[in-house]
Amino acid sequence: MTRRLLFLLPLASLALMAGFLAWSLMAGRDPAAIGSVMVGRPAPRLDLRALRDGDKPLTDALLRSGKPVIVNFFASWCTPCLAEHPLFTRLAQRDGAVIVGIAWKNKPEEARAWLAKLGDPYLYAGLDFDGKTGLDWGLSGVPETYLIDGTGIVRYHFRGPVTEKDVTDVIIPFLKAKQ
Amino acid sequence: MLEFLLALLTTATVGALLVPFLRASVTSTDRLEGELAIYRDQLDEIERERAAGSLGDADAAAARLEIERRVLAAADAAQPIASAASSLHRLLPPALALAIPLLALGVYLKIGHPGLPAAPFAEATRPPADRSIDVPRLVAEARAKAAAQPDDHDAQSALGEALTLEADGTVTPAAIAAFNKALALQPGDARALYYLGLHEAQAGDSAAALRRWRDLEAKSPAGAPYLPVLRAEIARVARAAGIPADSAMPQPTREQQEAMATLTPEQRQQAIRGMVDGLAARLKDNPQDRGGWLRLANAWKVLGEHAGAVDAYSQADALAPVDDRLLADWAEAHVRGLKPGEAPSPPAVAVLERLEKADPRNGLALFYLGAASFAAGDKKAAAARWKTLLAMLPPDAPIRGLLEQRIKEAE
Repeated sequence: MTRRLLFLLPLASLALMAGFLAWSLMAGRDPAAIGSVMVGRPAPRLDLRALRDGDKPLTDALLRSGKPVIVNFFASWCTPCLAEHPLFTRLAQRDGAVIVGIAWKNKPEEARAWLAKLGDPYLYAGLDFDGKTGLDWGLSGVPETYLIDGTGIVRYHFRGPVTEKDVTDVIIPFLKAKQ
Repeated sequence: MLEFLLALLTTATVGALLVPFLRASVTSTDRLEGELAIYRDQLDEIERERAAGSLGDADAAAARLEIERRVLAAADAAQPIASAASSLHRLLPPALALAIPLLALGVYLKIGHPGLPAAPFAEATRPPADRSIDVPRLVAEARAKAAAQPDDHDAQSALGEALTLEADGTVTPAAIAAFNKALALQPGDARALYYLGLHEAQAGDSAAALRRWRDLEAKSPAGAPYLPVLRAEIARVARAAGIPADSAMPQPTREQQEAMATLTPEQRQQAIRGMVDGLAARLKDNPQDRGGWLRLANAWKVLGEHAGAVDAYSQADALAPVDDRLLADWAEAHVRGLKPGEAPSPPAVAVLERLEKADPRNGLALFYLGAASFAAGDKKAAAARWKTLLAMLPPDAPIRGLLEQRIKEAE
């Protein structure tokens, strides 16, 4: 009798697996979502050379100015960055947001040319050529965006391009509430 | 070649499955023999124990009897199983082993496509849409043209478009400047309006983009080549922003559009007419719907029913005076119904006079008001209007000859 039950084992495991896969498909969760350990914690160290010639280097003090700050990692080679770029331009121009742009694993002359073409919404722009700062910040790629309150605590972390909905539902209310 | 190998592999697999079925007919007699061997062992055991003295004679006889009874029961049990189950057991596995590959082959021959490329491969081999255009050259040419003709709105908006293309579809600040320049030169420049709307959508103001685009859609001539793109973009942005995509004109559903596509031109015309008649009937019940009257006027105009269009425009105008652009459409509907050489009717003259007042250099108003003055006997006024018009016309305008002749008649 037990030997017969043993034969059912592969079938049972197959049913179990099919059930799990079906649940994964149906539950509507985003398999690409990774979540973030940064939210609610002090922003990681910021110590970068400036992207634009003649600018001061980027330091932690920028993140603890008492005003909310948007930190956006981008690269000129990244297509989703192109899609979200006009949103940052709008946030800088219309909403007066303080945006720190960090060119990640990007040749500085290419990043500068990219900003010259598309417009430069960054009050501060840094260069993370070797990606070390990105590592500290828990970056999985570009674009990623962090909202940091005036005391230097990370409040939101967007992986992937920011959308219009993110801007109207999260970023603008965040900027208004913290100002 | 690959197909052949696969077929070979399948045949080999089916063969490997079939061979044991065909060779060894597994029957329940095997089982019976196994059982009998056990009972034989047990009988030997009883005999050994009796000989050793650990089992009494009477007990040994009882045990032997019990085992013999089981032997008979086992033989009885084996008989029916062998007969009832054997045919199914013997036939089902080979039948399945043959039927499944045959079924697969049949289905494949029916719906399969030999040589169908894998989907990612097919995508990779398709040439990217934009790469056929030499973008840097396009930008350089557009820039040169815009610099050479700073007053040409089309050159400006072409430059904006080239700059947008250069940025992979993102409307850049430089492109926005070019489009704004184009609009300053020509407020109705459709390309500039479209791309500025696209910029608004990209910059997170989809509502403004949709307002601009719907306005552009409403003002566009019916056959404008960019309308399909514009409508698709309206639908895309509305969907992305979660704004319902109802535009001023109810759009036919996909099914309706498909149904329309299958009709002959006459049937299609009839179907459109049916929709317009429906709108007209609705407006009879609800005559306060000014937007409805304007839609109806536009629909009649497109269908060439100028009298209907004129009536609908006047209904809308009675609710609230129409703007200059609609005034021009209204006047056009009036004069389109005229026979050559016929002077416009008094209501037409009233509309044309309003148009002339709004735009003193409107060619349509100048020409037909001239004709009206001429018919009323005021030849001086007619000649003055026509001369103004003549001065505005380009030297190669085909109407010049006719106009010059009529001026001569008036003088």
